[in-house]
Amino acid sequence: MSGVRDISSESVEVKEDRGFDVEAEDRIGDGYFLDPTRYIFYKDRKEWADLQPVTQDDGPNPVVKIAYSEKFSDVYDYFRALLKNDERSNRAFALTADAIELNAANYTVWHYRRVLLQALSKDLREEMSYITAIIEEQPKNYQVWHHRRMVVEWLNDPSEELEFIADILSQDAKNYHAWQHRQWVIQEFKLWDNELEFVESLLEEDVRNNSAWNQRHFVISHTTGFSDPAIVEREIQMLQDQGLSSPPSLLERVLELKETHCSPYLLAFLFDCYEDILENSNKKENMLEEDRKETLRKALDICQLLAQEKDTIRKEYWLFLGRSLKNKCCLSEPMVDGFEASGQQENS
Amino acid sequence: CFYFENKHFLRDRHVRFFQRTLQVLPERYASLETTRLTIIFFALSGLDVLDALDVIDRNTMIEWIYSLQVLPTEDQANLSRCGFRGSSHIGIPYSTKGPGVLHPYDSGHVAMTYTGLCSLLILGDDLSRVNKQACMAGLRALQLEDGSFYAVPEGSENDIRFIYCAASICYILDDWSGMDIQKAIEYIRGSLSYDSGFGQGAGRESHGGWTYCAIASLCLMGRLEEALSQRELDGIRRWCIMRQQSGFHGRPNKPVDTCYSFWVGATLELLDVFQYTNFDKNRSFILSTQDRLVGGFAKWPDSHPDPLHAYLGLCGLSLIGEPGLRKVHPALNITQRAFQHAEQLQLTWRDNGGSCSRRH
Repeated sequence: MSGVRDISSESVEVKEDRGFDVEAEDRIGDGYFLDPTRYIFYKDRKEWADLQPVTQDDGPNPVVKIAYSEKFSDVYDYFRALLKNDERSNRAFALTADAIELNAANYTVWHYRRVLLQALSKDLREEMSYITAIIEEQPKNYQVWHHRRMVVEWLNDPSEELEFIADILSQDAKNYHAWQHRQWVIQEFKLWDNELEFVESLLEEDVRNNSAWNQRHFVISHTTGFSDPAIVEREIQMLQDQGLSSPPSLLERVLELKETHCSPYLLAFLFDCYEDILENSNKKENMLEEDRKETLRKALDICQLLAQEKDTIRKEYWLFLGRSLKNKCCLSEPMVDGFEASGQQENS
Repeated sequence: CFYFENKHFLRDRHVRFFQRTLQVLPERYASLETTRLTIIFFALSGLDVLDALDVIDRNTMIEWIYSLQVLPTEDQANLSRCGFRGSSHIGIPYSTKGPGVLHPYDSGHVAMTYTGLCSLLILGDDLSRVNKQACMAGLRALQLEDGSFYAVPEGSENDIRFIYCAASICYILDDWSGMDIQKAIEYIRGSLSYDSGFGQGAGRESHGGWTYCAIASLCLMGRLEEALSQRELDGIRRWCIMRQQSGFHGRPNKPVDTCYSFWVGATLELLDVFQYTNFDKNRSFILSTQDRLVGGFAKWPDSHPDPLHAYLGLCGLSLIGEPGLRKVHPALNITQRAFQHAEQLQLTWRDNGGSCSRRH
């Protein structure tokens, strides 16, 4: 939420910050000045001498100050200098990569990089490789996915997307960013054709993957829709192991399942069916009074079953639903007892 | 593991956790740089919920927050970029007064404007140094045709989170000229999933955080029952209440996570059915994520705490009436105390001729 990165895997304790490793500089041997891999601060690079670094200014009493190492501050001091002048150059472009490596959540760096990509007519295919690598490392970062979307839009080429996203999903099948990007690509470029197959493969791995079920609904609602009975039938068949010789009503099927697969979800679904029947009977007035009472009794039985046995964590809620339904049906005779609220326990 | 001891709420540890958060963080928290103002909000609101704001220096905090305001330049050319920054990372020299400094890349961020205003309210500030017209102009520049919002005028992802931020800003400043409410409602409705939860946008998987944003936004706008039918509301209640496993999770078949005790809990509270959840199991779970050494709460048991989960864990406990915690306004996500301060301010603004409602 609000772009705050989840840092729950890290301790809050303020440890001594190791930052830039100074050992290498102390060992000044023959190879030192010839070593191309030795890191040089921007402030020591001749080709940057023309630029005045800009430090971060939090005033006399900084709050939530992050203690940056010299290396970190150096990169960002020069980033700030470039920003101030709105410099459009290759050296600026190269620096953004350093800045991103230090903090890939800085959305200003990404925006500036995009400005440079366009101003310098950079190779967008290379940029795709770059962003692919970054997302693989940091798949839950908002900025990197947004950046990828922008590049794909500029290229107007989604050809790598489905495979790339599938790869990310193979590491975390519920990554919200990945699914969101996938939906955008499919909708934007009309890549519906093989998506149901993809969803099915994921459901085979984990039938409880809610993201995959959502994707299934997404695809069907945007392609065939749900009105065709053949589609509904196919979906029902998908949901259970047995085949159907002739399609009974949904309610009958669910009642059959109730015997062997009595989950809170199934019972709640049944309750909703009964509630719908009662609501429709209110409007149409063509239902026998006994049938209405019977339906209400069945619905209230389900509430009791859920509250007392099958879904006790939501006991108060099921009792509340039972009371609400009774009130809606406006029946004065005492029906099933035991729908009074038991209330919450006193907190210690 | 001391099961019995885990049920004990360690107030003082949490106070110290938030105090430390407000001071210095090590470099590995670099990714929080652009969102430091939200971190301040978590700490300040957390201390407020704990009734422990006396441990901080209000005035220095207020000054620092005002230094993050993007103010109009002399010629007001940057009005559509006004609001609050998340931090000083762009390199604008520290200043708590206008006029604004011209800079090609300086602009507000909608979540920072929201948490900045909330933080000022919590600190008892009267918002008199907030340039409200500029904030409204900045907000208007962020709304898209489909009703959703960008976070920043340069562009970003757009979704329901930023509608919530925008609605909160308008609510606090008592000025709805900052957004097209009707379009926002359309986007929110469009995000209602087939299973009665809300996704981040149309077609997307329903999720506890986005459901909070949807319902809280509609409540702040005063349009809950206008935007959603009773049947839809009942469906949303059902979706939310099914998220409780012990604590709450954010999506079906995902692990429970402390922050959803607030996101989903507050949504249920706004829908008048939080009373039907299981308080005991919720409390047990939240406390199982409490860090007994450094304070704060983590998303899961035996994980490291962070400011967001520390704050939302407290809010989750506040919803169930944990003794010693202030009540939280479920839509605005600040204490009722801070909320009442906001209401008082709004009364004085209206008495003074509705200065907030004037369009620039």
